[in-house]
Amino acid sequence: MTERVIALTQTALPSAAQPAVITVGLLYFAVIVGISVWAARRTRTANDFFVAGKGIGLVALTVASVSVSVSGFAFIGGPGFVYTAGLGAVYIVLPAAVTNVMGAWVLAKRMRLLGEARGLITIPDAIGARYDSRAAQGVSAIAILIGIIGYMATNALAMGVVINAIFGVGLGWGIWIGMGVTLAYSASGGILAGIYNDVFQGTLMGIASVLVFVFVLKLAGGLGAISQTILQHDPLFLSPWGKLTPLAALSFFFVFSMGSLGQPQAVHKYYMLRDPLQLKWYPLLKTLGLILVLLLYFGVGVGVKAFVVSGRLAPLASPDQATPALLLTATPIVLAALVFSGVAAATMSAANSFINIGAAIVTHDLPIALGRRVKNELRWGRAVTILIAVAAAITAQQSGAMVAFLGIFGWGLFASTLVPALAVGLNWQGATTAGAISSILTGLFITLALETASYLKLFKFPAGVTASAVAMVASLLVFFAVSWLTSRGRDQPIAEDVKLVMEL
Amino acid sequence: MTRARRAAVVVLFVSIATIAIAYGAALVTRGASTLAPWIAAIAVPISLIAIMILGAVRGDKGIGRLGIPFGFVALILIVGFLAALILPATESSTSSLWLGLPMRAAIVIYGIGVLPIIVLPVAYALTFETQTLSAQDLERVRELGRSNARNQAQSDT
Repeated sequence: MTERVIALTQTALPSAAQPAVITVGLLYFAVIVGISVWAARRTRTANDFFVAGKGIGLVALTVASVSVSVSGFAFIGGPGFVYTAGLGAVYIVLPAAVTNVMGAWVLAKRMRLLGEARGLITIPDAIGARYDSRAAQGVSAIAILIGIIGYMATNALAMGVVINAIFGVGLGWGIWIGMGVTLAYSASGGILAGIYNDVFQGTLMGIASVLVFVFVLKLAGGLGAISQTILQHDPLFLSPWGKLTPLAALSFFFVFSMGSLGQPQAVHKYYMLRDPLQLKWYPLLKTLGLILVLLLYFGVGVGVKAFVVSGRLAPLASPDQATPALLLTATPIVLAALVFSGVAAATMSAANSFINIGAAIVTHDLPIALGRRVKNELRWGRAVTILIAVAAAITAQQSGAMVAFLGIFGWGLFASTLVPALAVGLNWQGATTAGAISSILTGLFITLALETASYLKLFKFPAGVTASAVAMVASLLVFFAVSWLTSRGRDQPIAEDVKLVMEL
Repeated sequence: MTRARRAAVVVLFVSIATIAIAYGAALVTRGASTLAPWIAAIAVPISLIAIMILGAVRGDKGIGRLGIPFGFVALILIVGFLAALILPATESSTSSLWLGLPMRAAIVIYGIGVLPIIVLPVAYALTFETQTLSAQDLERVRELGRSNARNQAQSDT
């Protein structure tokens, strides 16, 4: 699984540098610059910079959240994975049916209300308030920061790959251009620029996904015709687990559903909604938006499989060529241009979110954990934003294998360190500070140890078992066990305002 | 702690422990365990519904009318996964198609992937004021927030 998630960084996309693609790419960057200038003029405080002044409307927040929830993987690596593994690959995206409403029930209301009661702006803030513990806030901040390092390097490299494909400028320049544009709007307009660029980018991704899906169905003669063609040549592809084992597919479903509760780029957005009562429609709108964006994932995967087995498309050099091969040989060039810009949009959107969350950790959470406050969080936030972006771009220039390794553990690390302490902890008053800290450290240690051992080829999991799943299960069990063992000796009762938020 | 919340915590813990057993079985047998997928097919949906119930419990009122959609989706997921495990592999070029897919694939895509979308977000919206957040709840929290801000301002001065 993990190899697939970072597939975009491992593949050399075919060059799409044609006038129409370059023109759409330039228009795309021009819109981003325009939005960023507008947002920069409205960003005056750290609250504006990190949580958009808690003033984002429902539709904007929904589209932005969809945008950061999918990465370039949904457009390139994902369809390639479906092409290879068949129906088994959809267990990564099937959880979208439940994750958004699960996030709404488990986290959205409580985090948004904590923001209302305490003026919180970060995820470690919420953990610190829940357990009344600077140590818990600090440990969770460090865990998130480690995950961000991996994600940022991978996203920077993915940007380079896509921008090189669009403009033909070379991978190195692609990384610097992509990161430069992302940095410009992240540092100037903070999360406000990020949100409205996400709205634009999410819309672009949705349009591109639907158009490609419709185009594939039309070209193939419908889903039934695609299935008939595949069933003639490779029936296993359309079996319920595809070419995976049942446990591997179920593992995907578990990790990508339960693990979604620990993804900071999505969870952090709950703070930003202007009116908490608008949460009512958030899960429905976000789920529908996500389904639209993920149509391409499924449609291209099965469509290209049908085209290749029937001889309408040449066999692919690698699975990750599924989307580019289809776009550059069978679709109108403007549609290809839209999708390439959509992929660039997806990587930039994710990078912006992680830069912003990382800057908040360095300038806000870590100083609080050490008993200090940074005087001008806005100025330092901008400075750290630049540092993170430059560090990510430099790291991305290193060997692909190293960057791939960094990208591998991001999702699992967030899931294993944040799901117990944050998602369960905000809903269970029996959770203790010791339980929270133990679970975060367990998730951090197990994820890093298992991924490192796997990277160094010291250990190989059997099919169906992944480091992410093992780490998340272990950290949840440690969380419950330590909380029950230390429940009598809890030093601080839960603060009244936090208790009210937990009981509502 | 209410009965519903306590039950959700216990069920969540037991389901996660059960998933751990499934992974343990797979590790011990180097992936050859035939039992592990059956355990996961039941324990994974239960763990998801348990954490949703934990989040949806409100004060001492439990989950109210949400019991029906939660039960329905738990059933859909468990039956869907078990059907995929139990039903014989009959996919071939002569298979009849359900909405464009062979039967077992259709169960996965339309049953597990689409049905919960229709049920859960709608249930969330329909019960939002009574079960999740009302204007009165929000005002109570905002009053606490104003009180916190006043206390903070006093301690700063």
